Amino acid sequence: MDLRHLLFILALICANDSLSASDDLLQRPQISKCRSPEMETFSCFWTAGNAYNLTVPRILQLLYKKSNEEDWKECPDYITSGQNSCYFNASYTSVWTPYCVQLASKNEIHDKKCFSVDEIVLPDPPVHLNWTLLNTSQTGIHGDIQVRWDPPPTADVRKGWITLEYELQYKEVNETKWKELKPRLSTVAPLYSLKTARDYEIRIRSRQRTSEKFGEFSEILYVSFSQLGIGCDHCTEEVEFPWFLVVVFGVCGLAVTVISIMLSKQPRLKMLIFPPVPVPKIKGIDPDLLKKGKLDEVNSILACHDIYKTQLYSDDLWVEFIELDIEDPDEKNRASDTDRLLSEDDLKSHNCLGAKDDDSGRASCCEPDIPETDFSASDTCDATSDSDQFKKAAEKEEDLLCLDRQDNDESLPSLANTDPQGRHRNTQSENSLLWAPFGDSLESPRPSVHTQMSNQNSLTSTDFYAQVSDITPAGRVVLSPGQKSKLGRAQREGCTEQNFAVDNTYFCEADVKKCIAVTSHEENEPRVQEQGYNEDGYFTTESLTTTVANFGASTAAAPSSETPVADYTSIHIVQSPQGLVLNATALPLPDKEFNVSCGYVSTDQLNKIMP
Amino acid sequence: AASTGGTLTGLLLVTLLVSHMLLTKEGVTSMPICPNGSVNCQLTLEELFDRAVKLATYIHFLSSEIFNEFEERYAQGRGFIAKAVNSCHTASLTTPEDKEQAQQIHHEDLLNLILGVLRSWNDPLVHLASEVQRIKEAPETILWKAVEIEEQNKRLLEGMEKIVGRVQSGEVENEIYTPWDGLPSLQLADEDSRLFAFYNLLHCLRRDSHKIDNYLKVLKCRLIHDNNC
Repeated sequence: MDLRHLLFILALICANDSLSASDDLLQRPQISKCRSPEMETFSCFWTAGNAYNLTVPRILQLLYKKSNEEDWKECPDYITSGQNSCYFNASYTSVWTPYCVQLASKNEIHDKKCFSVDEIVLPDPPVHLNWTLLNTSQTGIHGDIQVRWDPPPTADVRKGWITLEYELQYKEVNETKWKELKPRLSTVAPLYSLKTARDYEIRIRSRQRTSEKFGEFSEILYVSFSQLGIGCDHCTEEVEFPWFLVVVFGVCGLAVTVISIMLSKQPRLKMLIFPPVPVPKIKGIDPDLLKKGKLDEVNSILACHDIYKTQLYSDDLWVEFIELDIEDPDEKNRASDTDRLLSEDDLKSHNCLGAKDDDSGRASCCEPDIPETDFSASDTCDATSDSDQFKKAAEKEEDLLCLDRQDNDESLPSLANTDPQGRHRNTQSENSLLWAPFGDSLESPRPSVHTQMSNQNSLTSTDFYAQVSDITPAGRVVLSPGQKSKLGRAQREGCTEQNFAVDNTYFCEADVKKCIAVTSHEENEPRVQEQGYNEDGYFTTESLTTTVANFGASTAAAPSSETPVADYTSIHIVQSPQGLVLNATALPLPDKEFNVSCGYVSTDQLNKIMP
Repeated sequence: AASTGGTLTGLLLVTLLVSHMLLTKEGVTSMPICPNGSVNCQLTLEELFDRAVKLATYIHFLSSEIFNEFEERYAQGRGFIAKAVNSCHTASLTTPEDKEQAQQIHHEDLLNLILGVLRSWNDPLVHLASEVQRIKEAPETILWKAVEIEEQNKRLLEGMEKIVGRVQSGEVENEIYTPWDGLPSLQLADEDSRLFAFYNLLHCLRRDSHKIDNYLKVLKCRLIHDNNC
């Protein structure tokens, strides 16, 4: 019973559907489209629809009107374009004029359309398609062809009345999906890497440029390489290597391997596969801090040595850290430089720039245990200096500050130019930064900074460098202990962060440069009360001229307040933009107190000395 | 800090360059003014025509796009298309309406007509660019296209004047020009009327830009390639 009920309902539904479908078939006459193939003529097409009353065939009329006309006119040609069409030839066509057409019968209007001819351009398909072989691959499996065609004959391309764009589509004969090339203006198109064993079909259609709709497709062109006798029959059955599978599985396996390695607890394996990348690092300096840290911190880092010294050796045990190699021949050169720099002759006695003090704590920044012997500048400067810079131990200290040769070359000339002191010109080449040296002692490596510009040997760089805070107009540098303390603090902080395996106290000049520049910029106010000597107290004075204007300004204020630094002010000329030239001035020292054994002044002594 | 600043600046520059490249899309690339490095640096007539055609095609392309976008965004459901008023202010200029007329007209006359149409569009384009910004929630693409069309129209006008200077043999005729008085319609209070005014203006712009593009191609093929493009 239920089944019959169901069937009855189904039958009703079907009947209903068929009835409604038949209702849909009763359509009004409609204008389906109007089209101009070449922008010179146009045609309109319509569908007659279902006449309600089939006995009396409806007579449909197409009326048209140009926008500037009042009356509706009838279609001039119902025949040329086929049935249910109206053809307007060139004389009836005005391209940029708005038209309206309407489909009417008797007094009933069925449909109406308005347009202008330039909007309905749909070109005819191209004709005369043909192809030529360009070349084949070595194996003969693939080949390139070039397809040529002519524009549709109706379109007047030669006079430029219409510009056409063509789209080519192709596919293998037994495929279903067409591949497309980008629309192009030219009537030739190359097709690359077609399989010679297969046959292809090509078709082309065109459209007016700057239009969106394409016209009809052309006839299909068949491409068969076997016609030319270049088909590769025996390679039709090539087995396609399952590249996809290989790649997928390879990637998965690789990923699994990598993950397992990463997760494995075996550090050795990890090290083997993923060796740690050495990060450029300067002992004692945290590059991140330099990049992001505040100036104070940076300054303090650079003066790190000093801090550590104070940290570790609070009292003037700086002497222990100083070591100079007197016997070194280079030192003699330096001595000569020093002479030039220093006004006093007694500076010669200060040739010995460093005490060969075995138990001087050649501690690198933050590292209490300093191997006495191995002051290798290369360690400090591995990050920034070239290895060529390091000649030998003797010259190692030249590069302690990791003066970059190129940088120096650039900066030194500027320094030279701005040096007001003529006699310091020679020494200008010896850039030296005023360091707050860390108390590292230089044994065989002399603490000299080699300046590239002059290629002179090293500065009388010593272990200890003071931060220059001011430069007097006379060229005297006033060092600021206050800075140092400030620096020291920062350095302390900065240094403690680091794992200082440094065995010397030199920082690369590049980093120091920033510090000095910044510091010098900052510390304009004369904090130079004490001489800006290093607590460590040893300076080799060299003339440094500063190009910093504010230095000049500050030094103007500063000088009278205190006597300049001790006999020696070791200065490493800061590379550009500022260079410091310190004019060595002798401290008014009571000699007895002054430990000139190697030209070093102890902190205490300096403290006493300085006002 | 300096390095990061420099990096940021570089990044900003790169971003600006890339965005400019992407925005201009089919923009006209500038060609060197004197490719041959000749002392008497003058573009040939062919080059002038080439550039003019490129510009005109670009302007027509932009006009089509802006019209389509406007239609899609504002004209749906308002029945704009049905109202085939479409009387453009340049209708008073008698321009060739089919190929025959375009073939028969003298090239100097056609050039002057082109100039006239371009000049007549100068004013409307300026106002279009400014008034379209007052349309509520106008898409960014419409805004910049309006500005771009205005700029390119000026450039095309300059180029055409150069061409006319080269080609014209006799005296310059009285300037052909049609004034435009449609600004009030673009500022109507009633939004529907105002949008319809925009629709009309953009429709006329698309049509006239197509005209210019076609006339220039016809002239180029006629004068440069001797009817054998």
